[in-house]
Order: sequence, then C-alpha cells, then structure tokens
Amino acid sequence: MTLDHADELVAAPSSPGAARPARRETWWRVLRRDRFAFTGLLVVVGYVVVALTAPLFLGWLGVDPYTYHLDALDENGAPAGWGGGISAEHWFGVEPLTGRDLFAIVVMGSRASLAVGLGATAVAVLVGATLGVLAGYAGGWVDVLVSRIVDVLLGFPALVFMIALGAIIPLRFPHSPRILILVLVIGLFGWTSIARVVRAQSLTLRSLGFVRASRGLGAGSGHIVLRHVLPNLAATVVVFATISVPGAIGSEAALSFLGVGVQPPTPSWGRSIGDAVTWFSSDPMYLVFPGLALFGITLAFNAFGDGLRDALDPRAVRR
Amino acid sequence: MRTTRTRRLLLAASATATALVLAACNANPTTSSTSSAPAAAAQQGGELHILTSQTAINWDPATSQNLAITTLGLVERRLTTWDAQAGQPSKVVPDLATDTGTPSDDGKTWTYHLKPGLKFEDGTPITAKDVKYSVERSFAPELSGGLSYHKSLLVGGDSYTGPYQGKELDSIATPDDSTIVFHLKSAFGDWPWIVSMPAFGAVPQAKDSVSGYTTKPVATGPYKVAETQQGASVTLVRNDQWDRSTDAVRTAGPDSIVFELGQDQTVSAKRLIADSGADKNAFGANFVPPAQLAQVARDPSAKDRLVTSGAGALAYLAINTQAPGLTDVKVRQALQYAVDKQAFLVASGGATGGELASTLITPGIAGRQDFNLYQAAPSGDVAKARQLLSEAGWKSRQLRLLVDSDATNPAQGQAIQQGLARVGLKVTIVSQPDDVWSQTVTQGDGSKYDLVLSSWQPDFPSANGNIQPLFDSSQIGGGGYNISRYSQPEVDQLIAQATVETDTSKAAAIWAQADKRIMQDAPVVPLIYTKNSFLHGSHVQNFVIPAFPAYPNYLKVTLGQ
Repeated sequence: MTLDHADELVAAPSSPGAARPARRETWWRVLRRDRFAFTGLLVVVGYVVVALTAPLFLGWLGVDPYTYHLDALDENGAPAGWGGGISAEHWFGVEPLTGRDLFAIVVMGSRASLAVGLGATAVAVLVGATLGVLAGYAGGWVDVLVSRIVDVLLGFPALVFMIALGAIIPLRFPHSPRILILVLVIGLFGWTSIARVVRAQSLTLRSLGFVRASRGLGAGSGHIVLRHVLPNLAATVVVFATISVPGAIGSEAALSFLGVGVQPPTPSWGRSIGDAVTWFSSDPMYLVFPGLALFGITLAFNAFGDGLRDALDPRAVRR
Repeated sequence: MRTTRTRRLLLAASATATALVLAACNANPTTSSTSSAPAAAAQQGGELHILTSQTAINWDPATSQNLAITTLGLVERRLTTWDAQAGQPSKVVPDLATDTGTPSDDGKTWTYHLKPGLKFEDGTPITAKDVKYSVERSFAPELSGGLSYHKSLLVGGDSYTGPYQGKELDSIATPDDSTIVFHLKSAFGDWPWIVSMPAFGAVPQAKDSVSGYTTKPVATGPYKVAETQQGASVTLVRNDQWDRSTDAVRTAGPDSIVFELGQDQTVSAKRLIADSGADKNAFGANFVPPAQLAQVARDPSAKDRLVTSGAGALAYLAINTQAPGLTDVKVRQALQYAVDKQAFLVASGGATGGELASTLITPGIAGRQDFNLYQAAPSGDVAKARQLLSEAGWKSRQLRLLVDSDATNPAQGQAIQQGLARVGLKVTIVSQPDDVWSQTVTQGDGSKYDLVLSSWQPDFPSANGNIQPLFDSSQIGGGGYNISRYSQPEVDQLIAQATVETDTSKAAAIWAQADKRIMQDAPVVPLIYTKNSFLHGSHVQNFVIPAFPAYPNYLKVTLGQ
C-alpha cells in the first residue's frame, strides 16, 4: 500500500451493517412513491400468483387448455359466435380449429413465459455475476479470458443460434424437457451484459479504500469478495435481473412463435400469437388475448425494473 | 409417385375419377371450360400470374412429378395428356401422339404414332427418337426423383441406367421418325395413363443437360420459358412454333404467364381475397389455408372466386409397423379407435377441408367398396381403444409423431395428439421441414418415428395408385412411400395379381380385396378424404377443378377483362 490513497474514505459506500436497514426503507419508500413502478410490481406479483395457482384456479373454473370443444366452432373450424366465441363458458372465446378454451390457454401460458423468463434470468445472473466478479477482482489472464468470451458472445448472432439450437436439440433428444432447454439456451446467451457491468464495478470496488484496508488487515480473497464486493454489487445485479426478465420472456415468445420453443400442447403465448397471425382477419381476438398477456407482463417488468433502478440509485436516494 | 408435399400440391391427383357414377354426384352441370372443342374459342391475351409457395420450378421431365394439367403441361407436351373438365370424368387423350396407343401382343406391346408437323421451340421437328431419348434419360441415376411407374414395366428397365453411357433401352423401338413402340414385361391396361407422365415428352439430345434442363427446357407446348429469376419468378411467353391445330386440350389463353415463386400461402390467399391490381389476373397454386377459408366464408365476393374440389387425396396416419410395441396388430387396431377423426377434420378446415375416411381406395376410383372395419363415432371409441390396449398389454411409452412442418398445419398434429391422449397414449410431435421429413420416412431404417401424418394422391385414376406405392413391401425405404413399413406377403401377392389383370372389373375386385386385407392389419389410420380449395382473381376465367385430379386445370385458364 502506498500513502497516496490515505485520504480515501475507509468506510464502504454502503457497508453491511447499520446503514442497510435505513437504505432499504428508503428505496422501498421511493418505489412506493413511483406509482408506475409500483403498479408494475403489483402486476408482476399478480402474474406470478396466477401462474403458480393456474391448475387449481382453472380446475375451480372447470376449464382446461387441452380439451377440445368442437361444438364451439362453426363448420369451417372458426370459433362460432361473437369475438372469437366469447361466452359465459369460454371467457376469452376458443382457439380456432380445436375449440380449446382460450382463457385457459392464456392463463396456463403464463407458466411457460414466467418459468423461462425467470429461469433464464437466474441462469444469466448466476453466470454473469460469477464471471464478472471473477474477471474484475482477479484481473490478469482471467479478466482477459472472460472479457474476450463476452466480446465474442456479444458479436454472436444469438437469435439465429438459439433458433438453430431450439430446432436441433429436440431432434437429437426427443424427450428432453423443452422448458429447461429454453432456460439454458436463453440464459447462456444472456449473461454477457451483466458480466460486463459487474466486472466494471468489481474493478472499481477492488481499488476502493475499504477493500484495500481489509486486505491490508489480512483478509483473504474469499472473505473480501463475499463480504465486501458482492454486497455492494447486489443493487446493480437486482436491477439488471429485473430489467432482463422481459427480454427473456420476449425471447421465449419469439422462439415459440417461430416454432422452436415450447411444444404443443403445452400452452405458450408466443406460439398462440404465431398461430393467431394467420387468423387475424377472421378471428382477431385469438391474437388479442395472448398478445395482451405478453404485453402486460413485459410492460410490468420494465416499469418495475425502471422504478427499482431509480430507487436504488444513490443519487436518486439523496434527492 | 413420390412427393414432397409442395410438389404434391401441383402433382397430386386424387381420385374422384375415371368413370364413375360417384363422380356424377359432384357433377356441376355448368361446364365452365370450353369443352374440348376449338381452342380458338377461348379468350386470348393478358398476363396470368400464378402464386406458388414453391421456390423453384423443375422443368426437367425426368425428375418432375408434375400433373399433366398443371405447370409442366404448359411448356412440355407428352404422348398423351388429360382432358380434365369440371363435372366430367377425366379422360386420357392423345397429345403428341395421334391416339392413346394401340396395344398388341395381349397388351404387352404399345405402339404410338406422332402427329405430323410437330416442332420444338427452335423449329426443329419432333421425332420419335426425341421421345425415346426423353424416356431413356429418366432411367439415369443422376436424374432420379421423377415418377417411376414405367421403370419397372418396360423390359430391361430394372438394369438400364440411362443414355449417358451411350446405351439405349432396347424395349423402346423407333422404326421410323414418327413411330414409337414400347415393349412391356407384362400386360398393363393403364399404359395410356403412364405415357401422360412428364418423362414421355420429347427432349432433343443435342440440347440436353443434366443440370441445366431444370431451368432451360426446350418447349413443345404453347409456352416457352423466357426468363427465370431465381427464387422470385419464372416468366413464360408464347411459343410460336406450337401449332394450335395439333392440340385439342390446351387453349393457351394468356399471352404470358408469370409464376411468382416463394409466396407464403397465407399471404397469397390474402392477396387473392383482396383482389386488387394485378392480382385480379392471378390464381393461387396452393391450397387456401383454413384460416383464410374461414375468412372467405364471410366475404361474398371472395366466396365466388373460391373453387373447392370433390373429395380427393387420402390423409392418413401411418403407423410404423416395425416400431417397438406397434408390431402388435391389437395396438394398431386400438389406434384406429383412439384417433379423433372429427378433430382432425375440423383442424383441416371443417366441411370445406374434406370428408371422414375409412378406406384406402379413395372415392371415385373404379371398384372402390365403401366399408369400415373399425366402426366408431367420428371422434373415436375411447373405451374400445383402452380395452384393446390392455389386451395387448401395452406398456406406456412416448410415441413420436412425425409431421411435415411445411405441409401440415400444426393443428392437425395436435388433433391426433389430443385424440390419443384420451386413451393414455403420450405423443410427442416431431416437426421437420419437408426435405428432412421425406428423408426420414423414405430412407433409412425407420427407427426415427412411430407415427407419421401424410397424405397421398394417386398419379393416375386407378386403385393401383392408391395401394401399390403405400403398401407393397418393395416400397419400404430406398425412396419408397410404404412409410408404415408394412410387409404382408398376402397383400404383395394381391397387388401383383391385380396389376397384371387386364379385365378392369376383375382387377378392381382384387384391389378392393387388398384394401380390406390391409385394413385388417391396420398399418394406417385413414383420416379424411381431403378437399382442396383454390382462390383466383376476378379476371381469371375457366378456372375449374376436374373430378380427377383435385387440382385446377392450368391448360384451360383464360383471362377476361
């Protein structure tokens, strides 16, 4: 250690301990004040509750997304009646050519979207944060290696590759679980930006006074990373994760739309939207309901993520 | 007959056909085409557009499976062709030849004479040698993929490998420039239909090219290929060497014909429903998808421009009879009851999509007997299926249902999946693009699938075309279409017996017997006899679908103003 840095603060910007509860209270209050973000949070919670309880909920209503109702269709296979067959029995109408209940399909579709959205984000955050911290804190050849991998992946036509993988894996392994494949494929292509940000922050943290002080006092790397670096990255990672969930949900929808995502008969909004495109002129409601569901969840996550970023931003807190 | 589904579109042929009283039921008394009479009566002029999802047109007669009355028929004439008009049984009629053939030697030898004055587009006369050469090149291994009925019928056809090594096929004789004689191994009553297939046209040896003929054919018909923009369009213009007086079938109305390639089926259908600008002079070569059929049903102006065929091709679920567990006939019979045919019909577009099927020989084919060995409600008999499965001791295993993603609408596969789920059979849908799909089912050992959705249309109106390609054990693998991998010596024998039978009514009886015999073994579940619907623009006239095949007759389409 040289003396040049003696004037630096030794205390961490937000060291674990006394400062934390106050901080949490503050960001929660900021979030509460931001009506848009707070509504987003409520909507997200609502979607999650619906997704978790979907089979019970639908069972209670007496509908399911797999049973055919051919009597609800006209002689051309289009839904009979107004608004795509909307009735007391079928709240969102029925699916053309099959007569399956569209409400049940939309509700059950939330499971695929949220499972893939949250799962892929978890994978991305785990991989991204780990490699980011490793690169930023360790530096040297580890940093060079991780940064090059990130560069390559960022320059990679990820969607094309995901489509290819989505098409090939099920052919080679016909019984593989599609949701898991989607989680891994989307997650393993989505960690790069998190890794970059975390690396940059780790680099900064590494040279901050409190880290150097604890190292000077004899703390090991493991202790420093776990006790000092990671807690200070938490806010960034949480915000990043929240903002990347809608992206992952969108990727799932895109892959299912293209026919390489969730396979029938498991409901998926993306696949319903893909099927509905050809029906738009004769049965627009078939596109509207899954479309609105997808729109709602992505908007809610984006609103919540934005609000959370504002709330956790130190400058915003001081405001 | 082999077909990628897209080709099947242009090719197919269904069977509401020859003769038959049944055909008369569908008969539309207004014969909209200009009878077989003077072609000159048809309105001339204009530029016709044909919208197709195909990305290329293969003009090579040796590798094409085109129907006589669609694309290739505009450019290339054959020894015989089809007179296919609305509401009448299609007839085989002379084209390059003066008649449909003179049999001798008990039907083993067929002699044809060419009409005088026939010329290629460059003005050189068409001779019998050009016809012979055209047939010979279809034997070349480098030109495979075409219709191959003649290859096993002609003497020496099994060992002949095409003219490119300088060898000729001796069973085709050309005693003079206008006479051609075919020597067959055994009598074959449907031979006049065989010589209406693409390979029985004329190809000048001097202009032949194995790779180039697919895009640059030498025209013998009323049009020649003027311009090909790869993947985008093919333009045909009039061939001034074609003599209207030698051709009783083609009316050659439009001055030019533009094929718009690579058009999405949904988009083409929407363009034709909208009917604006140049699309008034257009028709779609693809089926109208179910979603657009529903749209058309609500649009009176489009409804007038929708033409729906009679019941045609057989859509069926093939069961891989060599797959583990499915070797048991009880399990296959259980599938007959488990399948929800009604859901499949609705998924295919409901009443406009087809009619429920129970036999392998399609309606309208001579000698077809209507029967149903597995009587059940249209949505199946769940209890019966469960009972048969438990008798067979079926141990639950995931079944792989292979579908052709280009041809099958996703709802069709799901309709099967849903039906089988009711009896506890778990089905995974494996969706493959057309070329991969046909590779999987026609090549290899068949270990990659348990069930396949397919549809089949005979290439000529005879029960032979319904049965032989799908159920003869010689057609397993190696490009053959016996995709249930069904091998039953008794059936093979019936097929052999019916093929050589020259008495058509006796042959028909044997075919009907074979139909029942095959269904006892349940290698396929017949689903529906499909109806094909096509849309055309408001200026397009004489757009008719004959009883056979269930495809529009391109040769007679004209443009009004």
